Amino acid sequence: MEDIAIQITKSLVSGLLMGLVFALVALGLTVIFGVMDIVNFAHGEFLMVGMYTTLLTSPLLGIDPVLTLPLAGITGAILGVMCYFGLIRFLIKGPMIAQLFGTFGLMIFLRNLALLFMGSEPRVIHEGWLVGKSFIVGPGVVLESTKLAVAVLSLVSFAVVWWLINRTKVGKALTATSLDAEGARYMGISTEKMNALAWAVGGASVGIAGGLLVNFWPVEPGVGLLFTMIAFATVALGGFGSVRGALVAGILIGMIVNLPPVWDAMMRLVHVSGLDIHSFKYTMVYAIYFLIMVLRPQGLFGWKQ
Amino acid sequence: MEAIKNAFDFSDLPKTELSLAAAVLVFLLGFPALPHSSFGMSTMIQFLAFSLYGMGWNLIGGYGGQVDLGKAQYVGIGAYTTAVMMIRWNVPFWFSMPLGMAFAVGWSFIIGYPLFRLKGHYFAIATIATSLVLKDLFEVWDFVGGARGLELPIKGDFPNWLYLQFREDYYYYYILLAMFLVGLIYVNGFRHSRLGYQLRAIKDNEHVARSLGIDVHWSKIKAYAMATAFVAAVGSFHACYNYNIEPEDVMSLDLSVLIAMMAMLGGAGSIWGPIIGAAILVPMKNYLGSWLGGQAGFAGMDLALYGLIIMVIAAAQPRGVYGIVEAVRARRR
Amino acid sequence: MRKIAILAAIAIMVALLVPAMAVAGPKEIKIGVIYPLTGPAAAAGRELRNGAELAAEIANNVMPKVNMTMAKNAGVKSLGGAKITLIFKDHQGNPQMGADLAKKLILDDKVVGILGCYYSSVTKTVSAVCERYGVPMINGSSTSPTLTKRGFKWFWRTTPHDKWFTKDLFEFLVGLTKGKVKGVKAVPMAELKNLAAACEKTEWGSNVSIEIANFAKEYGFDLKANILYAAKSPDLSSEVQSMIATKPGAMLFASYTSDALLMVKTLKSMKAKPKVVWGQDAGFDKPEFRALGAEIEGILTRSVFLPSVVKVKPLAGEVNAMYQKKHGHDMDGASARAFTGLQTWVYVLEKAGSTKPKAIQQAANTISIPGNQLVVPWVGIKFSTKGDEIGQNVLGNGLIGQYQMKDGKIGLEVVYPFDMATAPMIFPFKGF
Repeated sequence: MEDIAIQITKSLVSGLLMGLVFALVALGLTVIFGVMDIVNFAHGEFLMVGMYTTLLTSPLLGIDPVLTLPLAGITGAILGVMCYFGLIRFLIKGPMIAQLFGTFGLMIFLRNLALLFMGSEPRVIHEGWLVGKSFIVGPGVVLESTKLAVAVLSLVSFAVVWWLINRTKVGKALTATSLDAEGARYMGISTEKMNALAWAVGGASVGIAGGLLVNFWPVEPGVGLLFTMIAFATVALGGFGSVRGALVAGILIGMIVNLPPVWDAMMRLVHVSGLDIHSFKYTMVYAIYFLIMVLRPQGLFGWKQ
Repeated sequence: MEAIKNAFDFSDLPKTELSLAAAVLVFLLGFPALPHSSFGMSTMIQFLAFSLYGMGWNLIGGYGGQVDLGKAQYVGIGAYTTAVMMIRWNVPFWFSMPLGMAFAVGWSFIIGYPLFRLKGHYFAIATIATSLVLKDLFEVWDFVGGARGLELPIKGDFPNWLYLQFREDYYYYYILLAMFLVGLIYVNGFRHSRLGYQLRAIKDNEHVARSLGIDVHWSKIKAYAMATAFVAAVGSFHACYNYNIEPEDVMSLDLSVLIAMMAMLGGAGSIWGPIIGAAILVPMKNYLGSWLGGQAGFAGMDLALYGLIIMVIAAAQPRGVYGIVEAVRARRR
Repeated sequence: MRKIAILAAIAIMVALLVPAMAVAGPKEIKIGVIYPLTGPAAAAGRELRNGAELAAEIANNVMPKVNMTMAKNAGVKSLGGAKITLIFKDHQGNPQMGADLAKKLILDDKVVGILGCYYSSVTKTVSAVCERYGVPMINGSSTSPTLTKRGFKWFWRTTPHDKWFTKDLFEFLVGLTKGKVKGVKAVPMAELKNLAAACEKTEWGSNVSIEIANFAKEYGFDLKANILYAAKSPDLSSEVQSMIATKPGAMLFASYTSDALLMVKTLKSMKAKPKVVWGQDAGFDKPEFRALGAEIEGILTRSVFLPSVVKVKPLAGEVNAMYQKKHGHDMDGASARAFTGLQTWVYVLEKAGSTKPKAIQQAANTISIPGNQLVVPWVGIKFSTKGDEIGQNVLGNGLIGQYQMKDGKIGLEVVYPFDMATAPMIFPFKGF
């Protein structure tokens, strides 16, 4: 019984950490969607670019990977703005389906550009303040330094974005653009600028996330899709465009994928073996997503249909 | 009777299109007799398969405007039905293919009912989710071989019409071409059918459609089921043609997206769109790959170019290549 | 007008036929080679290609320094010194693409036979094409047990498969308890009895998982956790937690490259401390994994070729030196097996004395290559022709290597088979 209690604590902690990681990755996606109703398939590729930025610039500048985070953020923001003016501006005139495929093409393009220049080998950062460190607190509860840092960054980013949207003039303009782009234009708001800003904020947040994640995760050109699918589920579950929703949904998904060890502990208690649910952990995420969607088609905190 | 007459009625299409289509048909019928490489033949078979996938997708995605990114699950159901029945009970292709279609349609009703409560992006992502869930289940389900997949035994004595096993590819080609023509005629009938008109009304404006007395939810489900049948039939064929299926191969997200992308790039909502899309993308992918892919130092170049072309088409003309054709025609007038 | 068209058509036909006639005669033997030259396994594809090319070079030229029969002759002697030409194709990890390329090689390029394809899933579809056309195929590097269970008449595999490798693992674990391992005293069974395995859940990993479960039962071990996970997964902490919770004596893995890296990082952060960590080749035997340096000291991986083999096998040293000179690094499991695969092709052709499929089939079914001809540490190559495994080389065996630091550099030392051990084993695993 005690075994299970410990395992539940462990799973809660690692679920919370992982959930905040998922939430951070999804943040940029939900900001962009909130402002201009577009789902970016290439979101994970932005993350990859952030990861490579840190991986490459840290040894080049001779500084710790953590210190290159602003660079990763700037790279992400520039990439976001470039994508907006080079592609998205044209896509938003078309139907949703053209938008999906436009960003899908962007995903293929960025991923294979990375393959062309970086090669297919996964790479890791070997040295740094966060690399390979973890703390054990309480009865075997592990806090990995990188995940902890990402989790903190995640909370900070959510606070900043929330403040930006709800407490600043720019944020009001962003909200106006997302509610009624035409109306906002009449009010003298440059929607073009607002959209570009959304892409810059979205790109920067996911770029920074990538710069931090690479302290723990290996990076390769295909790494984006691992996170994109989870980010999609996170954003849709929380409600497209809802910042609060992304945070809650991210944590929920983090908890779900950390259920299997608890299940295993329970199975050990009743001496049953052979029922492995680890291979279902992402299946559960999608199944629960589907169920919640059916019950509440606008997502947990969504206000747009 | 009326439905059959509609299906063969191409008279509303422009003359130039029809004569071009006739020329293409003659080419398709005669292709195996022309000098060609076997890679060319494989490419043509893939072109026909993806045209059919695209035609299916077009029913719900093009005419109905519902962006479906989960078609691969039905490819999988079709392929697995044929493979399992052949391996376990020696059931010939011609029996297992309709059964596979039936299973796929049944499954599409089960998930279509809740699925169509969702709209727009929520719908698109939910279709991805259902497809991934099914794939994950197949990967651990031992009855269908799990992630190891299923391999169809080679029955010998070629040509084997019952189990669709041939040594030469042109048999497969003609069988698929026959399916292609049936599909084309069916889609043509669908255009003129009651459901076809209802769907287009829904695509234009759901509220107006509902106020006209159309059962929006039910119409979408019906169209979705029909789209499914197409895809499952080709899935069954794929199992016989490839002799080996794995969830990663027949149920992957990549396949779902590729199906939708071909139809969309060619022109969603037009009868020729999926065919044009497949005719452009399949050869491009195959030949770019074998041209650039084999060279050292260029890994990724082919797909980067491919992605770039997709971006350009999506940005320049959201209605796809057929949209460009229509725009040019409109300017001429 | 029509006359010109007909003339042109004839001219084109002639132009197409003439080169085909020019190469007729036994001056050139074309072998189609299908490998993943691009895509996720491009790095492995590069090694495979290098290995096959080196074997072709040795076969086509006289190299007195290399102590192999195929190095003594220029080309295939029984075919009038015909040279081996390799035609490389890239399947990108896609089974359908592989099948299309196999048809292209057979019908358009008229190859004598096929070598490939690394991925078991691609090997399946390619061998099905070969079986239909009656073209011989030799497979050097796919380890799915099912490949030789199909009773194919045109398919031969030189490498041992995952069932053998997994059996090797359990022989090794039992050896540990009996004190057979160099440098380790007999370990009480109780310390190793509990096992925990995590395998990636595609075709390869799920097969390994089944084999591990079967052999654990057979050898009297207790497999406490047998987890399947998605290799393309952003997080492995739940898997690792479940494994640690069973307090295993040995942790067993079947992982691809980036998930192997993530797995080791997660194990390290969760402070896992099993006595033995074993990986089933693939991700555990890649340069990227080696780059983790001191972190992986003590981890075991199965392989078929380790650079330290040269200490006990001089021929491997000669070939490895040539490889090293050309490419700047040692051969690995992929290149050594590709080398052996093509080498087998050369010996089969030599024995057949003909490029007719029937003659090649006959030769392959009766061939026996002694172990002293090979770079890999096998007893030899001899294919089974009956029983439940058709076309499998019955004289192969695997190695288990351990990562050890030597002069500040990480390298693999052989610890199994016991009589080939090149260094004392580090036991227990010191933890991350």
